[in-house]
Amino acid sequence: MGLSRMLQTLRSITERVPRRVWAVAGFSLAAIFPLFNVLGFMPTAWLRVGVVSLVFVMLSLGLNVVMGEAGLLNLGYIAFFAVGAYTTALLSSPKFGLRWPFWALLVLSALLAMVAGLLIGLPTLRLRGDYLAIVTLAFGEIVRLTITNLQPLTNGPNGVTGIYPPRLLSQGAIDSLQASGWSEALLKWLVIDKPIEYYYLVFVFVVITAFLISNLKNSRVGRAWNALREDELAAVSSGITAARAKLLSVVLSAGVAGLAGSVYAYYSNVISPESFLFMQSVIVVCMVVLGGMGSIPGVIIGAIVLQALPQVIRESAGAMRSEFEVYRMLIFGLLIVAMVIFRPEGLLPDKLWRQEVHEVDPRELEKTRQSLFDVEEGHQDLEA
Amino acid sequence: MAREMRLSARKALAIMLLVALVVASMSLAGCKKDEGTTVSDDETAGKTETIKIGVETALTGPLPDYGYAAQVGCELAVEDFSGFTIGDTTYEIELVVLDDKAEPTEAAIVAQTMVDEGVVGVIGGLTTGATLAAMPIYAENRIPQISGSVTGPKANETDFDTFYRTCWNDGVQGEALSVWAQELGAKKVVLMDDNGAYAVGLADVTENSLKAAGVETLRQNCQSGDKDLSAQVANIKEFGADVVIFTGYHPEAGLLRKQMVEAGMSDVQFMGGDGIKSAEFVAEAGGNANAEGCYATFGGFPEAQQPGYTAFAAKYLEKTGDEVGPYAQNNYDALGALVAAIKKAGSTDTEKIIEALQTLEYEGVTGTFTFASATSGAVTRGDIVVTGLTPANVPRYVVKDGAWIAVE
Repeated sequence: MGLSRMLQTLRSITERVPRRVWAVAGFSLAAIFPLFNVLGFMPTAWLRVGVVSLVFVMLSLGLNVVMGEAGLLNLGYIAFFAVGAYTTALLSSPKFGLRWPFWALLVLSALLAMVAGLLIGLPTLRLRGDYLAIVTLAFGEIVRLTITNLQPLTNGPNGVTGIYPPRLLSQGAIDSLQASGWSEALLKWLVIDKPIEYYYLVFVFVVITAFLISNLKNSRVGRAWNALREDELAAVSSGITAARAKLLSVVLSAGVAGLAGSVYAYYSNVISPESFLFMQSVIVVCMVVLGGMGSIPGVIIGAIVLQALPQVIRESAGAMRSEFEVYRMLIFGLLIVAMVIFRPEGLLPDKLWRQEVHEVDPRELEKTRQSLFDVEEGHQDLEA
Repeated sequence: MAREMRLSARKALAIMLLVALVVASMSLAGCKKDEGTTVSDDETAGKTETIKIGVETALTGPLPDYGYAAQVGCELAVEDFSGFTIGDTTYEIELVVLDDKAEPTEAAIVAQTMVDEGVVGVIGGLTTGATLAAMPIYAENRIPQISGSVTGPKANETDFDTFYRTCWNDGVQGEALSVWAQELGAKKVVLMDDNGAYAVGLADVTENSLKAAGVETLRQNCQSGDKDLSAQVANIKEFGADVVIFTGYHPEAGLLRKQMVEAGMSDVQFMGGDGIKSAEFVAEAGGNANAEGCYATFGGFPEAQQPGYTAFAAKYLEKTGDEVGPYAQNNYDALGALVAAIKKAGSTDTEKIIEALQTLEYEGVTGTFTFASATSGAVTRGDIVVTGLTPANVPRYVVKDGAWIAVE
């Protein structure tokens, strides 16, 4: 009784802080996170956990566009991640002796993933609910099996090794900068090869992605997605072209995954099909659902929590760690079950989703619904 | 105005709370981290030092039985080798066992955790994908790594001098198959794999070796779990093969043999690697008559010929109440070899241990072995080289009256 009242009070306090303040606080915290390592308070492994978490934040943000906003369940999302990762790996590794520029590969990886999204989206978006889930699941497996079996191109299960670290400028430009008297210590940052450098690289992409997607969410397209999610028939009769809006969401989310895949390939140095199992698609879906479908801060928190939790559990065992290791994933699973039981709407849910899960005054629900689909007023109401 | 004031106060409070939370959790995580070795003075003459050795294994994920066996192998080795002395210092071994879930992403985090812990060496990883992801991190931080179970021929394609293995490289078996097929007078050989990492690696090496010897080859493949291979059988017949080498496992191998006999190709020689050397192969091939005269090679000495195996199996049984799990003795040897290298180097400096490993000769459970110093043929740098075991004389088996027997 006392606890629930305390939580109530806490919620009423936190809700009065505008989301923008939370966002700024969160991002600044993420920005200073590596400094704990630099100052020696934190083992470097946490930096790697941070990099991977941020890559999965990008994936969750991307999946949230189709799943949270447009309401299309995609169980093969990791396939787009794989397309981006393999594009980068093959064009910047000793496999074919190529080293394409970093920025070009980022764009190309995202573009190819978008093409893959278009290819899978065009024929399947007429399907709904369970059927779409099955088709996307199959697509994810097809991509993984193709990678495994297309050995002349991908090395199959042996993976692509020795991916070159990204250079932010071409080698020629770096050389000429050095010739013109730039310090070597500064120029070293132009070649990304340390965990801390990868961390800031991915961090920048996360900030950009989060900014773009949150703007999109509140735009005309975003409203169209939400309307389609809530009631497709009503949305179509109000003049929304369902096929185009859905396809846009699928292609866009594929592009984000392709970008994430490219950065991930650079970071991990090695790419093999084992990184793109069906289970990984499920994990990303879990991040979106547990974080709070449709809520951008929610999916960010969801991704970080799910990705970092296994390491948190590992380290909290302290001296007993080696003996404890075998129970780690068990506890991870239990915590996820607990989260689903106690917060079915997600950790930081979208207002509308929360009200659908919990019992609330119907008038309040109606008010939120109206504000959501009323462009004039809705924006402010959601902010507050 | 007042509203703004309140907000900024709350904002400050919120940020402070968050920072406090993170600092608390970080220090919780950080306080555990300490220097790699701890020195304590003993009452007797010498000092006692504790060194950390990492075990990167997969206790969860697709292969927990392999992961558990690797861990037990290492623990048995610690019971036997801990407390060795260099000069007047006694070294106690503390294992740092971490689970990489057989997943590349997690393996990189595990590798970094090992580095942060200040281990002097790592036993592992368990699976190829995870090991590939961890290798660059160990190499960059100059930590020797000895795997007891990664058999893929291309595991050390990048040529890291920090990577060693105490299990047999599949590629050596491939050369053995090639040598044997040529002894049988093969002119036209079909190589078939099941699209898995093990089978593809083995078939690649065998094919390259046969081609280099001027033998005509044809490559076929199937999926693990296939129930009909008639398309492949038709291709084999059309090609006119005199030897068929199947590099996968016995269920598909047996089926292939059965369908070949049914298609009237019982006179074509049938060979495979240790994946087909199983009693079930005979039944799967459709009985003694079909399987008669099929050949198989084996990766390294079979258990009965491993010098220390009986003693090891007894210890394993005593500790776990179980029979020896897969690659347990290879992991035991991996830790043993690492300790031997530390003793040889006379130091726990990892650079010196890496140097010592390159010239170490070690008498282990699976035989007396060294590590290859350079890549040549199927053998890559860091591979186990067992004394008295070359591609030309790896153990050979043939089916006779429904059972696998050794070929003299």
